[in-house]
Amino acid sequence: MSNQPLIPKRIAALLATFAALSLLAAACAPAAPAAPAAPAEQPAAPAQPAAPAEQPAAPTSEVKDFITWYQYDEKNEDPKSDERVGNEYLRKTIPLFNEAFKGKWRWVNQPQPFDKMATSLVAAVQAGGEVPDLMQASDASIIPFIKNGTVQDLTDWIKAQPWFADLDPSAVAACTGPDGRIYCVPVAMTPQIVFAWKDYFPDGYPKTPEEFKQAAEALKAKGVAAITYFGSTAFDGEGTPRFTNTLIKSFGGTFDDGQGNMKLNTPENVAAIEFLREIIAAGYVHPRTWDGTTTPFIEEEPMKTAEAASFPTGIFGYRYVNPLKAPSGKEYNKGNEEDMLDAITAGDVIIAPFFAPAGKKPGCGTGVTGFVIPTGAKNVEAAYDYINWVMSKEQNPDWVLGPGGGFPALRSMLPEIEARAPVAKAFYEQAAAAVAASECRPWYGTLERRDEAKKIIQSVVYKLTKEDPTADIAATLKAAEEEYNKGN
Amino acid sequence: MATQAQAANTTTRTTSRRIRQGSFFNQTLPFWLLLPTLLIIAAIQFYPGFYSIWLSFQERQGAVWNFVGLRNFERMFGSAAFRESVGHTAVFLIGYIVVTMAASLIIALLLNRKLKLGGVYISLIFIPWVIADVIAGLVFGLLVVPDYGLLSPILSNPTLFPPNGLSIPSDPAPRPWIQGFPFPPAPAMYYLILATSWRALPFVTLLILAALKTVPQEIVESARMDGASGAQVLRFITLPLILPTLVVALFNLMLGGMNGIGLVFTLTRGGPGTATEVLSFLLYTIGFGRLEFGRAAALSVFIAAINLALIMLTLRVSRTEERVA
Repeated sequence: MSNQPLIPKRIAALLATFAALSLLAAACAPAAPAAPAAPAEQPAAPAQPAAPAEQPAAPTSEVKDFITWYQYDEKNEDPKSDERVGNEYLRKTIPLFNEAFKGKWRWVNQPQPFDKMATSLVAAVQAGGEVPDLMQASDASIIPFIKNGTVQDLTDWIKAQPWFADLDPSAVAACTGPDGRIYCVPVAMTPQIVFAWKDYFPDGYPKTPEEFKQAAEALKAKGVAAITYFGSTAFDGEGTPRFTNTLIKSFGGTFDDGQGNMKLNTPENVAAIEFLREIIAAGYVHPRTWDGTTTPFIEEEPMKTAEAASFPTGIFGYRYVNPLKAPSGKEYNKGNEEDMLDAITAGDVIIAPFFAPAGKKPGCGTGVTGFVIPTGAKNVEAAYDYINWVMSKEQNPDWVLGPGGGFPALRSMLPEIEARAPVAKAFYEQAAAAVAASECRPWYGTLERRDEAKKIIQSVVYKLTKEDPTADIAATLKAAEEEYNKGN
Repeated sequence: MATQAQAANTTTRTTSRRIRQGSFFNQTLPFWLLLPTLLIIAAIQFYPGFYSIWLSFQERQGAVWNFVGLRNFERMFGSAAFRESVGHTAVFLIGYIVVTMAASLIIALLLNRKLKLGGVYISLIFIPWVIADVIAGLVFGLLVVPDYGLLSPILSNPTLFPPNGLSIPSDPAPRPWIQGFPFPPAPAMYYLILATSWRALPFVTLLILAALKTVPQEIVESARMDGASGAQVLRFITLPLILPTLVVALFNLMLGGMNGIGLVFTLTRGGPGTATEVLSFLLYTIGFGRLEFGRAAALSVFIAAINLALIMLTLRVSRTEERVA
């Protein structure tokens, strides 16, 4: 009897098989919803900030969760967070939305890291997993989204909305796919401009490369770099839509041939890179310009401390470039977006278009931020309601000033925003003048594989200006464009 | 009698059936016991593996996958970024393995001597192993941030690093000795190798130390009595005896070096330029940055093939070495 096993072998084997199959079944089962969604039959959660305590809970069977993915987190109250502006916006508006749609929708935001949002959404859609009802997105993601079947075609719905006619046509174009269909709702436009310290440019920001070199030489004598910019290849070439595009386009250059092929080897592009080589060699560019791979966005630092005199970047830069210390020693140190707005209002910082050779118009990349509705979204009606709510006169200015960080895509909203936020008045006036003086277009032109293109372009500019400033510009640009075009 | 015989026959048949049944379960029991593990491995390794191979021949078009034959591979092999990346991976892998193995061997040999506070040293050596890649990458990154990094005053000293000091984040690679092969590498690559080796050092050191403890001291003492020097003992006795462990360590380093991305991602992000863009980072960029899963799968199949080839090569070399030893 002592040799008798505790569990007969046959049963042990069966149990083992059963356990394994259970594990497999569990692994293959659909993921549980990530949102802390209460069942529809349950009373409204008491934590709902929108519901006043004394009011009875709304008819619970009608309340449905409305899930969003933002790069902001309303629960993050860290005043030093890089995303504090967006975080604060959500903290303020989630209760407002829930109040406005009480008894119908309950907004549940699921924060996502900004550089992983697109990937997560594509993966979620392809895996048949839980997707949000709406996601904050920029036009840069639209092509990969279309290619992967990630987002819904919004053409018919958006054209039927009363505010559609008020949208800036370039904003609509940025949301339009190669098939002519509209895949995102533009809410804010984010053109590229130049932030500059007025004390370093008392006669205004230079208008031509020659004027720039003259001013830069004088600044160099004072130990100040004339410019800092996103010069690294970090974030898969994120410098391309920023400074690189501004420079190339200001010299009359291009990235494409208008037929979807990359075209870099042009006399204008070569001239732009020769100019860049020249100002780097002369010591007019701050060394932090290229350090972004190790410390992301470190190129902003010299602008904050006035070690660099100017910083070409997106209009949204006002939210990030703070606190500030002016050349005069005056400090703007609230540590939020108001620092830059205050400095502009005080006249310490000016906004200007980039400089361009005589006869050319300054180049200016532009993009949009707004919303997409993912394929497989469960609550599309709530997404539609939300978009209409954000596009309303009451809500739109807050979104544009907060998560949008740019100009309103609805043309009629600018005066409303200036009235709502007087501190932003000077900023918007100067930014509007800079944009009007520039030729603002999406950087990618007809290039479809935008992520690949921006890495190739930024790498080749880095190589020609920093890695090997003696390399043959035309030949290197030619090789880079061929690299892209092989994939066409 | 007939009834008795019948009963006996019945008993015999039943017993033999039981024996047969028993022997079936006895014979197949190992299979049943292994089955759960096999199923789990199939679910989490074979299925994704085969799916990746399938994916490498596909391209996403809207909601469906389209078969594109070898196009993803053609684009991969025709890409300059891929060729550059192979070069960076080779430089990184060689540097990482040589530095880690050499440093680990030296430290293990030192720790194998009867030192005061030997246990404390071993505990200290173990610290890098328990730190996550991401944290290690961020800390190593902060050390060399120009202006305020801890190493910044040393690195920016033009006397030590003429003519303008050294900037790990942005100094480009010197002109390559052989056109098309990224050697000598950028300072960032040296730094990446240093950081990655620092992370791997404890594990390899402990592996080697454990192996050194198993080397019979009488053989070492006999060799010394026969006049062998320390170097000769190391070369002809210690190293051959710990060779299997060194091979295991080598496997570990090769696979970790080929596939690891944590430190690259947090420390250099492939930069400056593309100076530290190794294959695993390129894979991440194509797959999860550009969302081109077909191309990324093709690259992952290539990386898996390289892994297999490296393992087979190492096994072959180590077997030859063992035979020679």
